[in-house]
Amino acid sequence: MSYKVTEDGNIATVHLDGEIDMDVTEKAKEVIFPHIDAGKEVHLNLSNVQYMDSSGISVLIESHQKALEKNTKVIIKEVSKSVLKVIMMAKLEQILNLE
Amino acid sequence: MSELAHTNHTEKKDFLVRSSSLKDVRSFCREVFEKLNIDQNLKDELVLAIAEAAQNIVKHAYKNAPDTEDKMVVQISCKDNKLQIGFYDMGTPVDPGKVKHREIDNIKPGGLGTFFIQQIMDAVEFKDGKKPWINHLVLTKQL
Repeated sequence: MSYKVTEDGNIATVHLDGEIDMDVTEKAKEVIFPHIDAGKEVHLNLSNVQYMDSSGISVLIESHQKALEKNTKVIIKEVSKSVLKVIMMAKLEQILNLE
Repeated sequence: MSELAHTNHTEKKDFLVRSSSLKDVRSFCREVFEKLNIDQNLKDELVLAIAEAAQNIVKHAYKNAPDTEDKMVVQISCKDNKLQIGFYDMGTPVDPGKVKHREIDNIKPGGLGTFFIQQIMDAVEFKDGKKPWINHLVLTKQL
C-alpha cells in the first residue's frame, strides 16, 4: 500500500493506493489517525484501492468512530465498485460517510 | 456459470503463516479461478472468503507466534460444479464452537472476517486435522 496526503485548510485528503489487508492496516492507521486527532476533516480517497478485507473495513470503522469523538468526520470518496461491495456486505453503507 | 468452471481441477500451495503472505494467497486464488474461468464478481467474493480464512489462521491459530516458520496450505478443488477450499495449519487447535462473528448491527472494528466467509460460502466446516496438521477447515461453494 502506498499513500499520498494533501492538506488544504482544515481538510486532509488521504489517497490510499493498493490492496488493504491485515498486513497494511497499521500503516493505514498511522497515515489517517493523526489528521483525525488534529481535528481535521479527512477525505479518504479510495479510487485506487481495488481490494479491501475485514481488516481494512475495521480501519474505516475506527476512523469514523474516532472522528465522531473528535467532532469531525471522515468522508470516503471515489470508492471502487469492488470495495463498495465489501462495505455493503458489512452493512456499513448507511453508517460511513460515502461520497 | 461458464463451462470451464465445471472442469475437475485441484491445486494446492503452501504459504508462511504471516500477514505478509496474504497477498500471495490472493494471487494464488486469482490464478486458479482464472483457469476455472469463474466470473469476476464471484471470483472477488471467493478471494475475499479465502483471504479471510487465511487471515484467521495468522491472527488466531498463530496469535502467540508471529515469527513462526510454519506453513499453511490452501487447496482449491473443483469437482462436479462444487468448489471446495481446504486450509491446513499446525497452530493452536480451533474450537469450532467459539468461532463466531460479531453482531452485525453492533458497529465496531473487528469480527467481520467470519461473517464475510459465511455470507459468501455455502458451508464452513472444521474437520479433524490429520498429522502433521492440527486444523483443517473446509469451505464449499456450489458453482
